[in-house]
Amino acid sequence: MFHRVLIANRGEIAARVIRACRELGVETVAVYSEADRGAPWLADATATLCIGPAPAARSYLDADAILQAAEQTECRAIHPGYGFLSENALFAARCEQHGITFVGPGPAAIRAMGDKLRAKRTMAAAGLPTIPGSTEPLASAADAARLADEIGYPVLLKASAGGGGRGMRRCDAPAGLPAAYAEAAREAESAFGSSELYLEKYLVGGRHVEFQILADRYGHAVHLGERECSIQRHHQKLVEESPSPALTAEERDAIGRRAASAAASFGYVNAGTLEFLRTERGELFFMEMNTRLQVEHPVTEMVTGLDLVQWQLAIAVGAPLGFRQDEVALAGHAIEFRINAEDPDAGFRPDPGRITAVSDPSAAAPGVAVRWDAGVAPGWRVPPHYDSMIGKLIVHAGTRAEVLEAARSALRALGIQGIKTTVPLHLRLLDDPAFAAGTYDVRTLERSGLVGSVSTEA
Amino acid sequence: MAKVLLEPIGSARERAVDEAAWAAQRAHAEALGASLQAKRDEVRAGWGPEYAARVRKKGKLPTWERIDRLRDPGTPVLPFGTLVNYGRTFGEERKTSPGAGVVTAFATVAGRYTVVIANDNTVASGSWWPQTPEKIQRAQEIALRLRLPVVYLVDCSGLFLPEQSHTFPGRTGAGAIFRMNALLSAAGVPQIAGVHGDCIAGGGYMPIISDVVYMTEQAYMVVAGAALVKGAKAQHITSLSIGGPDVHVHLSRCADHRVPDDETLLACVRREVAKLPGSACAYYRYGAEAAEPRFAPSELEGVFPVDHRTGYDMREVLARLTDHSMLGEFAPSVGREMICGVARVGGLYAGFVANNLALTDHPVHRDVKRPGGILYKEGIAKVAQFSRCCNDDGIPIVWLQDISGFDIGPEAEKQGLLGFGSSLIYTNATNDVPMFTVLLRKASGAGYYAMEGLPYAPVLQLATPLTRLAVMEGRTLAIGAFNSRLDDAFKPVAKTPEEAEEIRRGMQAVEDRVTREMDPVLAASRRDVDEIVRPGELRAWIEPLIAMAYQATGYRRVKNPRIWSLHDQEVIAG
Repeated sequence: MFHRVLIANRGEIAARVIRACRELGVETVAVYSEADRGAPWLADATATLCIGPAPAARSYLDADAILQAAEQTECRAIHPGYGFLSENALFAARCEQHGITFVGPGPAAIRAMGDKLRAKRTMAAAGLPTIPGSTEPLASAADAARLADEIGYPVLLKASAGGGGRGMRRCDAPAGLPAAYAEAAREAESAFGSSELYLEKYLVGGRHVEFQILADRYGHAVHLGERECSIQRHHQKLVEESPSPALTAEERDAIGRRAASAAASFGYVNAGTLEFLRTERGELFFMEMNTRLQVEHPVTEMVTGLDLVQWQLAIAVGAPLGFRQDEVALAGHAIEFRINAEDPDAGFRPDPGRITAVSDPSAAAPGVAVRWDAGVAPGWRVPPHYDSMIGKLIVHAGTRAEVLEAARSALRALGIQGIKTTVPLHLRLLDDPAFAAGTYDVRTLERSGLVGSVSTEA
Repeated sequence: MAKVLLEPIGSARERAVDEAAWAAQRAHAEALGASLQAKRDEVRAGWGPEYAARVRKKGKLPTWERIDRLRDPGTPVLPFGTLVNYGRTFGEERKTSPGAGVVTAFATVAGRYTVVIANDNTVASGSWWPQTPEKIQRAQEIALRLRLPVVYLVDCSGLFLPEQSHTFPGRTGAGAIFRMNALLSAAGVPQIAGVHGDCIAGGGYMPIISDVVYMTEQAYMVVAGAALVKGAKAQHITSLSIGGPDVHVHLSRCADHRVPDDETLLACVRREVAKLPGSACAYYRYGAEAAEPRFAPSELEGVFPVDHRTGYDMREVLARLTDHSMLGEFAPSVGREMICGVARVGGLYAGFVANNLALTDHPVHRDVKRPGGILYKEGIAKVAQFSRCCNDDGIPIVWLQDISGFDIGPEAEKQGLLGFGSSLIYTNATNDVPMFTVLLRKASGAGYYAMEGLPYAPVLQLATPLTRLAVMEGRTLAIGAFNSRLDDAFKPVAKTPEEAEEIRRGMQAVEDRVTREMDPVLAASRRDVDEIVRPGELRAWIEPLIAMAYQATGYRRVKNPRIWSLHDQEVIAG
């Protein structure tokens, strides 16, 4: 195992990686920005190092500063967490040249999956179903119109280099297509430096289901079941669970195995997630692959009993996966609630500031596993510069009903004071019949009335 | 430090080139590119569709269709020597010879780069024109240098006889092709021949030295065709009857296998290539993976200014050629007018030497700025040492020329630029690592030589439509020619206005002539450059070239990066 690992991230994920390292007997160097000086998670690291001022571009996104910190502190590997540099192919390539192991896939895989159309082509070639649409970039608006007529409206124009909804346009009828094409191309050009677009069928509603995979350096890959992430607000996930209430064991096995072998087919190494859209009719379509650890990885850990971060480190150091697909056992049900420093009744306006009280809820529900992955403590001032998520509450029990029951007391036991959080929203969600029944889809939360009518104030 | 630290270079197109310049430069490149493409298409069409139809009628495939079936599906074919003989005509009928009647190209067959030499059967039945033997020998030489398997697709009716005095007797006359066949064989380079049709006299010798020879039922090989055999008519003999597969596969054993048609032959050749050792490229990537540049190589179409006297940022060019747009610069603070560095291309290490076109500080006089695109003492020394290190380490070198020449004047002479330049020339002349030269724009003076121009035998020399290849710019040459009749400001010294006008006209004529001669198409027609490629196509050439340099093992030194002498040099330089 590595002697010492640098953690190029902050908050709950930094705490999470530090914990995994400690359990493996690996020393940690936690880097931080000036805004995070004295942060609670830093106390658990072997050593800490300030790498720059508050803006992420000059600290957590500053590849030079992080590489220099790793050299200086003699770290043999860098764990990027999620966000920041975790899906930056150039950073991974630079680590490679420095002889520092980037805990994640190689730069080529990051780049291949970063190009959404290429990712779609790769996965289609590996036998995964993809949303009907382009296999090549569109040559022109006329090309787009031809294809749209073929697959039927509504359609979605997307930027090949895209992400985050930029360069994306929905189009419901032929008349709107030329204008949508021009706008999307212009937006893609300015956002990504490439106006390359592709088109696919716009699928209304559906559920967001994703498969976790692990792949070692020797061509062996397994899936660890799926996560259901359809409780979303403006494409931001709020609640995730495993298994998905919508999937049968046969579907899970069939798609999961195909996802794992698809990842292995192009030489993917380390942890990764393949996102699918499950339509109301029950078809599953590959959407994209995230080449990193996901925020919601703990629900998978709870049902599999595997520590994904420890496996990431083991794979990075060259260990083979020590188990086969049929040795992966999924037990019980787990749900994760994202606790964000936001006011859900004021359009999810971020609400950074000093936390005056927060308690560990892990003993809140006797007989049920409650896990609190967080980077906060009483007295810590949540800085305004970064993502507003401060922690994740994960509840694991034998059945979904038991989890829902225990979640109520666990959420109440958090007792966060000083800032507004998403806890009240989660408590209301537990009362929602669609959520309780597990019959929700990606539109449920925004249609439920739970998020209030003031969301435009954000 | 034994690490090869590559740093990100370049910037997004919007930051590298402003909108107005981008639009103008793109338009300029587009016009030049379209004109180049038209010439390529013209050559590719051979003598036109009626000749292709004639070939088909004989049950044969036109040459380009053969190549298309030979290569791995979906892989690019990179032809070189495309414009040889472009614009020239031969014989009293003023016949053209598109591509000199032969296609020479790099093609991927069964995952291995090969050099394909294929007579163009849509041009005078594949006969040999002036420069055809030289073009074939050039392809053979490249294969020999990189140990690439050679595939001959033979369909050749012999020399184009009206021009035999240009193609038969000389040092590079047709017979030198067979000498190259022998040298390739002696060096252990695999040669595979497919005989598709006529194969008369010279054409007949070409396949025989190949390791494996396939013949179709339409093919024959003869020392002399039936037309030259005495009494042919009386004996009812045809070339096919005296030299077809019936004779050569079974009686003479001059060929190994007979196959019914072109399609079968090409499938068999593919199988033969598949039996050879595979590419070592994945091995020499040392665990890294091939990666595209972060900045699109196609953006090179808009990087070069319309006016050849205007500078640009060479690092933006390098950023569009190298993996991840990363470069490990060698001695960046010395001789800044030159950029030397190591990068990965397709995951493989390559050295780059390029001119920096920006103004740089004078190393001694603090207030003086020096123009780029010129070789000064420090830059020459840096390039020479980098070139030696790469040679010692087995790192293939790509030379990117935009060079006006050596520095001139009293200071340059005092510093002994002749000596430093000669050291560089000696180094390049004796290097045996594969080197590739790209004439991005200017290629002038002894700078063209010192930076591995064609006389220094690079494996391949590419030009772009912007290339200006000449000993000096027309204006400079005109001043040189009329020097005795000009004053210190290069104005005519004349007794009468008429005389001044005559001098001006004379100078203009010289300038115009040199400018015409600098046309890369002319250079390509004369084989002074191997191929003209659009700037946006450069990465698509350089990446396979570097891969070819690493394909074969056991013939040249390839040091792992831990033991590069480049590292020693960096330690010494501090």
